[in-house]
Amino acid sequence: MDGHSVEVQGRTTEEAIGKALDQLGVTRDEVEIEVLTEGRAGVFGVGSHEALVRVTVATDDFDEDEEIDAGDAATDSADAELARETLERMLDLLDFANLVTVRTTQRERGLTTIALDVAGEDMGLLIGRHGETLASLQFLLNTCLSRQLSRSTRILVDIEHYRDRREQSLRGIAVRAAERARRERRPVTLQPMPPSERRVIHLALQSSTWVTTESTGEGSERRVVISPKPTAAPRRANYGYSRGSRG
Amino acid sequence: MAASPLPTSGTREFIEYVARMLVRSDDDIHLTESVEGNVVVYTLKLPSDEVGRVIGREGRIIRSIRSLLRAAAARQGARIVLEVE
Repeated sequence: MDGHSVEVQGRTTEEAIGKALDQLGVTRDEVEIEVLTEGRAGVFGVGSHEALVRVTVATDDFDEDEEIDAGDAATDSADAELARETLERMLDLLDFANLVTVRTTQRERGLTTIALDVAGEDMGLLIGRHGETLASLQFLLNTCLSRQLSRSTRILVDIEHYRDRREQSLRGIAVRAAERARRERRPVTLQPMPPSERRVIHLALQSSTWVTTESTGEGSERRVVISPKPTAAPRRANYGYSRGSRG
Repeated sequence: MAASPLPTSGTREFIEYVARMLVRSDDDIHLTESVEGNVVVYTLKLPSDEVGRVIGREGRIIRSIRSLLRAAAARQGARIVLEVE
């Protein structure tokens, strides 16, 4: 995700930034924000225009002009072993009996992704509420090793397939909420979620014919709202009747 | 050693291990600990130009260290506080 960039429009600069953060699945302190166009409200919509921002996932000390050191397969597997050992040592010191294995080491477009799996006792504690402790663990491991690993290498940490399972259940939540929004023809608001989870919801419904998604609220209270599209599922019984004929 | 509910030695080493990877000159790391009831307070003293490396942008690094310490402490029914100065 590092170096990843999106350009997003919104009625206001704040709204555009919020949308961009959701698309990227990150928090505000992880990005660089450029305001390309300030939004303007105009008078009764006359002369108004949307704000446009570019939001880029920041890497500390990232220099765009610097040649990316792609390394080779031998470097990758040495890096994977270093990441595995470091994580195992951290967890050992924290008194979590554990076993860390390298799931995959993948190279794609010059980016190396090392996926580590942790198994052991009391893993629920290590995952934390909404996976917050797991997110901390992954962030800390990447930060601690940033000087030793190539800047194009990223470590993913999962605990007993928590991320896969959580993603599946989030997709289920998204689909059921979308069904309800469509059936009851009103917006459905989900529980507050961290950015990475809101991203799963947006992605799950982005090609939906019936609903749109957006996030509202700030910080840890930010939630996804799923709204029926205006044209979605007109009821046959209504066809031919003028709008509001029943008062 | 008597069985202590406090996760002292491993926790101490964890903080030092992580701090060493984060700062530039690892000779200047001083970690002290004090125990009050079931609360262990660690104080990490660093040269002023290194403090930021352990705190991180908007406190993100120190927050993740604390969140891991909290998880470890929860298993022992203890509380761990980490201060950086």
